[in-house]
Amino acid sequence: MIFSKEKTILAYTVEKCPKCKKFHKRDFSEGDILFTNSSKCNFCDGITTIDKIFGTVLKK
Amino acid sequence: MLSMSDETNPLMMLVWILPIILFVFYGQHIQLLVTSGEIKKGIKKLDGFRANSKKELIDYVKNNISSINDPTKKIEQFLDYFTIMPVDMDPTGIVDKVRHTVRSREEYTRNHVKSISSELSEIEISRIQTLLEISSSLQMIYKIVNHMFLTAKKQKNYPLILPVQMMLPFLMEHATAMNASIPAFKLGQPLGDGIGPMVVGKMMLNSEKEIISFQTALAKIEYKNRKLFLLKAEGPGSTVGRPDDALQKIVDTNKIDAVIMIDAALKMEGEDSASVARGFGAAIGGIGTEKFQIEHITTQNKIPVFSIVVKQSVKEAITLMTKEIADQADNVRSQVYEMILENTVEGESIVVIGVGNTAGVLQ
Repeated sequence: MIFSKEKTILAYTVEKCPKCKKFHKRDFSEGDILFTNSSKCNFCDGITTIDKIFGTVLKK
Repeated sequence: MLSMSDETNPLMMLVWILPIILFVFYGQHIQLLVTSGEIKKGIKKLDGFRANSKKELIDYVKNNISSINDPTKKIEQFLDYFTIMPVDMDPTGIVDKVRHTVRSREEYTRNHVKSISSELSEIEISRIQTLLEISSSLQMIYKIVNHMFLTAKKQKNYPLILPVQMMLPFLMEHATAMNASIPAFKLGQPLGDGIGPMVVGKMMLNSEKEIISFQTALAKIEYKNRKLFLLKAEGPGSTVGRPDDALQKIVDTNKIDAVIMIDAALKMEGEDSASVARGFGAAIGGIGTEKFQIEHITTQNKIPVFSIVVKQSVKEAITLMTKEIADQADNVRSQVYEMILENTVEGESIVVIGVGNTAGVLQ
């Protein structure tokens, strides 16, 4: 269509470190589940938990 | 001098009169032709959605289960299954009948999915079950719209096509949303409708959980000398649980002073997406049997029901949660605590229900 823009949804996962309270946003990967432990914190030795999973629209 | 103006010119009169005659006798046919074009485009789109959902479902089953034969035939058999709703000439007891019919269908679907392979986990079963329901619904929408269109065309009956023309934009909105929701269900991502389970799920973290009714989790916590019974569907599978049965069990053994329900609600045109609103009454969608049951329990026990809703469109509710909705989770949680303090006193017990599909949301 001439006037319609193709929309792509990009999924993101936000991790939160319970120790230093810092957030880290990364691309969503299959198997990510809200409130599960995710990875080692980049700023301290804590283990991050998944705080949010959301999608944002990318218009082309 | 005598001159022939435009009004008396026989040729000009024909130019005026011919279309009038044409529209008087063939107006409905012309309207039918114009409307048919629009509806045909819609039907083509619906056919595409139907085919896509079926393909995605078969691919998902094939990719996730290694040791099975081709599931196509089994899935195709299921897609044409229909549900006959109970007769409502005598409405007494209709809710129980509808609940029985709907639950029997759910049970049948689950068993049908389980029969595809014994190696399926509960999470995979719930995902396939949801994908089957989407595919089956899209197939049904396509069949009904196509039937109404072809009937009107066959009878050359313009008024018959009017209901299709009026309903089509709404049906297309729902069908487009269902088609767009498939990737989120396949990947187990949280949906906009999952805001209720997301809020309550976080409140449940680090506390002991039990399964109180089918696919429904319960956690008991203390908050400022009040006892909270937290309920949500058991995540991270794609399910809404049975909060009505769970509430009945809690009320049978405890004195409850308030119920707070958190759910996604359809926003009205012009309303901002992800806006939060508070109100009274049971905030729960679906076919109505669960809402009826919750209202029945709370009325019998004189328990006030408060609700908090997060507004969103149909598409937002069943596709991957948007950032705006996810960002409201902390705000809604603080409003729940505020509501508890405003409406109850120390020593009282409150049931907090996170209503909605809990796909991708743990507790």
